[in-house]
Amino acid sequence: MSNSILESVDAAGDSTPGRTGTSAGTPASTIVMSMQQALNRALDEVLAENPKAVIFGEDCGQLGGVFRITDGLQAKHGAQRVFDTPLAESGILGMSVGLAMAGFHPIPEVQFDGFAYPAINQIVCQIARMNYRSRGTLPMPITLRVPSFGGIRAPEHHGESLEALFAHVPGLKVVSPSNPHEAYHLLKYAATRPDPVIFMEPKSRYWQKGEVNLAHGEAGAGSPTGAKVMREGRHLTLVAWGAMVARCLQVAELAAEDGIDIEVLDLRWLKPIDAEALAASVRKTRRAVVVHEAPLTSGLGAEVAQLITQSCFDTLRAPVERVTGFDVPYPSGDLEDEYIPNIDRILFGIQRVLEYKRG
Amino acid sequence: MAEISFPLPDLGEGLIEATVLEWLVSPGDQVERNQPLVEVETTKSAVELPSPQAGKVVRIHGGPGDKINVGEPLIVFEVPDNTAGIVGTVPKEEAPKRRVRLSAVLDED
Repeated sequence: MSNSILESVDAAGDSTPGRTGTSAGTPASTIVMSMQQALNRALDEVLAENPKAVIFGEDCGQLGGVFRITDGLQAKHGAQRVFDTPLAESGILGMSVGLAMAGFHPIPEVQFDGFAYPAINQIVCQIARMNYRSRGTLPMPITLRVPSFGGIRAPEHHGESLEALFAHVPGLKVVSPSNPHEAYHLLKYAATRPDPVIFMEPKSRYWQKGEVNLAHGEAGAGSPTGAKVMREGRHLTLVAWGAMVARCLQVAELAAEDGIDIEVLDLRWLKPIDAEALAASVRKTRRAVVVHEAPLTSGLGAEVAQLITQSCFDTLRAPVERVTGFDVPYPSGDLEDEYIPNIDRILFGIQRVLEYKRG
Repeated sequence: MAEISFPLPDLGEGLIEATVLEWLVSPGDQVERNQPLVEVETTKSAVELPSPQAGKVVRIHGGPGDKINVGEPLIVFEVPDNTAGIVGTVPKEEAPKRRVRLSAVLDED
């Protein structure tokens, strides 16, 4: 990808995004679990497979995390590898820098999206550029887990969408899973990268269950890089990530009742963005709507719209629409249903694209 | 079902223990989040501890007059697997509702 100058040499040689269509068949290694269970399992396996992997954060150890993502891991792998930290995000990420320099693979957790702000200096000024600054001698294999986005009626700082902020920083990769299967495979992949990855977990989807095919590779999960078509369609592409993918899939079902055949593209990687997948989908459908929870202005929807416009200008039937949160601080739980794009707002966005007339 | 232990939290600067005055719940009780669990006394004051979560009480530690150190188990809850975290709620899975209908004449070229 274009930011290869910032990337470490990847031992697996696998940094090229590739697309994976919806898989067919149900292999024997498929089990049903929640995203919380899938993430827990992935972390358990990472700890078992990589003796240098360490997990830490506020309440990650004894309690097992406020969302139970690290449940049971301290008991199984020991308090030297899974441990609690003080309430000090800058310290959590600063410690990650030192551990990475010493050859560890830190998997820190920032307990909630809005708690990442105190750690921005460590993330932006150290983690993102240490490899670059040191001419590749000090890679930062850090997987920062951030329970992200809204939808759980939580207080301030517990429902924010920071993907555009992270994606803007050279040296960081950003990914968000949309379901348990993606969560398992993307976390296992992210936790083996030689570069820092911001792993944004959609906390409103932690408890929904889904099929997870544990097998790796083309026979199982397919490629862990790039975007993924979650539903094929002919008339319009909905682009989303995280919790909005499930909502867009619902919208696609409803649109089908009206005779509109919608493709849903789960972007998965928000940095680097799979521009080829966007192009391939929208060249087919000729219409696109981007959906995200984050505020509109300078949100990642703008980047997606530009990438689509760049590759599909001649075929687009309408300007790319954005259906997003509003340009306000994330509201309290009572108001979040008004803030997060709901089914009707997404349908309105689709309708605006469908009825657009040139000239 | 899963068991979740709630240790005695740090009740104030420098306090390392508390004495149980009265339990307000018993094993077998179903408690709600923020429901008072127990009254304890520290060297500074007597306080009621609210429940950090909903769940069924499995065990309580210490009777009236017993001292419990900060960080030691206070109460154990039984909760269904895959329940909400300590912060926030589990979104309800509802059938999608709509008011907007789509209408378009699509040129199928």
